[in-house]
Amino acid sequence: MILPKKRWRSLLPSGKLARSATYLWLILILCWGLSLGLSAPSTADTRDTSMQMAAMPEVASPAADAKLRVLAQALALVEEQYVEPKTPKDLIYGAIQGAVTTLDTHSSFMTPEEYRELQIETKGKFSGIGIEISLKDRSLTVVSPIEGTPAYRAGIQAGDQIVKINGASTKNMNLNEAVKMIRGPKGSKVTLTINREGFTQPKDFVIVRETIPIRSVRARIVEGGIGYVRLASFQDLTDQDLQGFLKKMKQRLTPFKGLILDLRNDPGGLLEQAVRVSNEFLKSGLIVYTEGRSPQQSMRFYVQPGDKEDLPGPMVVLINEGSASASEIVAGALKDQKRAYIVGTKSFGKGSVQTIIPLEDGSALRLTTALFYTPSGITIQEKGIVPDEVVQEPEIPAGKSVQKLREESLGKKLRKEGITDKPWSQPITAEELGQDPQLKRAVEILRNWPPKKMAQQAK
Amino acid sequence: MAAGDGAGPLSPHCRELQSLLRRRVSQVKPYRIKSSLTCRAWLLYPLLPVLLAFFLAAAWVNPAAAAPASNYEALRLITEALHEISQKFVYKKSEEEMIYGSLRGLMNSLDPDSSFLTSQEYQQVLSGQKTPLAEAGMELIVKDNLLTVVSALDNGPAWRAGLRPGDHILKINGHLVRNQTTQEGNRRFQGKAGTVINLQVLRNGQVKPLDLSVILESVAPGAVTNKILKESYAYVRIPYFTQETAPTLAKTLKELQRHRPPLRGIVLDLRNNARGTLEQAVRAASPFLGDKEVVSTRGRPPEPNQVYHGRAKEDVFKPNLPLVVLVDGGTARAAEALAGALHDQSQAVLLGAKTVGLCGLTKMLPLEDGSALVMTVAQCFTPSGQKIHGKGLEPEVAGQTPAPAVTGAPPPGNPPPEDDPWVNQALEILKTGKTPKKAEKAETR
Repeated sequence: MILPKKRWRSLLPSGKLARSATYLWLILILCWGLSLGLSAPSTADTRDTSMQMAAMPEVASPAADAKLRVLAQALALVEEQYVEPKTPKDLIYGAIQGAVTTLDTHSSFMTPEEYRELQIETKGKFSGIGIEISLKDRSLTVVSPIEGTPAYRAGIQAGDQIVKINGASTKNMNLNEAVKMIRGPKGSKVTLTINREGFTQPKDFVIVRETIPIRSVRARIVEGGIGYVRLASFQDLTDQDLQGFLKKMKQRLTPFKGLILDLRNDPGGLLEQAVRVSNEFLKSGLIVYTEGRSPQQSMRFYVQPGDKEDLPGPMVVLINEGSASASEIVAGALKDQKRAYIVGTKSFGKGSVQTIIPLEDGSALRLTTALFYTPSGITIQEKGIVPDEVVQEPEIPAGKSVQKLREESLGKKLRKEGITDKPWSQPITAEELGQDPQLKRAVEILRNWPPKKMAQQAK
Repeated sequence: MAAGDGAGPLSPHCRELQSLLRRRVSQVKPYRIKSSLTCRAWLLYPLLPVLLAFFLAAAWVNPAAAAPASNYEALRLITEALHEISQKFVYKKSEEEMIYGSLRGLMNSLDPDSSFLTSQEYQQVLSGQKTPLAEAGMELIVKDNLLTVVSALDNGPAWRAGLRPGDHILKINGHLVRNQTTQEGNRRFQGKAGTVINLQVLRNGQVKPLDLSVILESVAPGAVTNKILKESYAYVRIPYFTQETAPTLAKTLKELQRHRPPLRGIVLDLRNNARGTLEQAVRAASPFLGDKEVVSTRGRPPEPNQVYHGRAKEDVFKPNLPLVVLVDGGTARAAEALAGALHDQSQAVLLGAKTVGLCGLTKMLPLEDGSALVMTVAQCFTPSGQKIHGKGLEPEVAGQTPAPAVTGAPPPGNPPPEDDPWVNQALEILKTGKTPKKAEKAETR
């Protein structure tokens, strides 16, 4: 970012702001709680800045100037007189935080560290060794090594206790710190000291870091030619992963009788990815449109024309109150176009679009810049997507929402644990179906396609 | 202590004027507040305009122009952020709203006692804040951006509505609580008697928020109560600190002193007590400690350090009776200061759970547009030099009750003292004269 080093006064909103970044690169849909979003690709930075200046008619108003002076005065007073010395940066982060929280629940401020973490999460890959870890009885434990990654090849196993990372004890280390130590540049080495049942003493594993894809898609099949795809979020590689699984299913399942798209507890992600995922299932027409205060924020997204012969057949989409934003775009488009039968419970109801706006010191704003609407012009905001058939899910474990609230309020973004790693081609068992009434119902519907309600609508 | 939270009718002026005076006086000689701590601010009322003018003048010569150079960078950043918001946020927001939001955020990031006052609110404070007609009888702070109940007055409106220390208030009358300062949060629960306020409350460990309704009423100052337990041990409860607390406590203790057979020890219950000023704590300590040091405050230079002492003539028990003080996660401010003093100066044993850690002096600083900051300028230390503010006091004996079971119903009200497990634990300590210090401490870890 190139900002002339001038005194701050000259940078008051004056219409002369030479800013190189920010405009509308990246629209993203934001999840609540565990956030997944995305920074703009840097290539989009080179937008016509003169256009931007023209679009900023604001003149330095004396009122705005006076208000900023009050802020400056407050900062100076706190710096001089607060009982503990504070750096101006700490204070300003608090102030920006305060400004942003007066906006809406989905707008937020990210410190440089939080912003970097977000970029990693939304890029769909990071550099590390490929294990999912959690704190179990206070000790750092491997949940599972991801197949094909350096950790997997080195022989790390689920249940292994990580006693030390690069010689540093993991006692009193929180998950975030541990993740930070295990990750690092591609090609560099990390030493994990592992304790495992059967070891007489902890053993060192030296592992070379690689680029690890974060999987947002997993798949299974159900007896009788039914495919099952679960999206955990909408991030950079989601559409590609989805395409890969659909292709494999078409080869493996003959006949390919139907598909279940599971969007439950999918908090959303990138708007662009929601459009691409919808595009995989629709022949033509409008997917979603957005409306904001400025014309740049109002856009319409259509299905891309192309080879549409090979679309999967009948579809059931599973949603619940944890399905938000991008998930609701997909479910809304498929529902409005009568492409899929929606099963589950009413979705979360987050119908707004957030844009990530990096600030000059590496921190960033996540601002609600537009509302989105399903093809039939319905806003999802607060209403959510209502399923065609309501099927309740079993009670959620106690304490979960407390956790959510904590994470939200602290702005923590701990990555969700991965889903159990069974090979995709292994059919879902009757026992697994028994534990999941919504999924079970989806299978029944596909086996007796079309559902009555849909058949009636067709007439 | 929070200024202007209705803790004491004198507090806001009192503190500001005190601090103003302190500044001037301290240049002449070290200013030591001794014994009489009732702030005689009313004497200074005629001087108020003069003092204020002095203060405002000081503020005028020190606006942005005098800000340290390191501030420019920070200001540039927030200017950039505010500009982006004004241009791109989906709804239009006024400049004042954004700046005031920033100021709230700035003060909230410091500590729960630091707050921001809009010019209207500041005017109200200056024009002589009246004791609210009616209130909910609880103390709230903003912690991790959540409006949290620190304590609820025994059987007060909030307590009867089912609110308990540690509860987070998510919604007030259907509106999400966001970016509120501690002051604003508390003010929401003051108003006309009979006003019904509907709350959505999240209790730790519970999944579903609770819907509770609290009805404001004029709350009688929490009375000091006592009870003689078996074998001549006394139980004394201070629910909240007010101006009345110290005199009633002194009276109660004098009566207890006359008890026959003579008392063998006292259990002082300071649990769930977060209201009161430092002055009130100091006065309440006198019957126990005479003119010994109660608490000291240390500020950032040039803010002077101060040592607060009680009054010798108010001392009731000579020699001191064995004392166990009950504290918990709802013990804050005056109660913390008193607990710390009794522990350090009277060998009182602290029993229960860790206290909140809210004990500072705040000062009001006007800004050039008529709004004002409420800012912590000094922190409390116990006589042995332990910092209370931000840390809390760790009792040497942990209360043995397991945490109340997680149920939908609010925890039951206070049991009578003889059925209270912590009181019984305290009696055990008084009887045996032994503090199971080491062992208990290990257990709490």
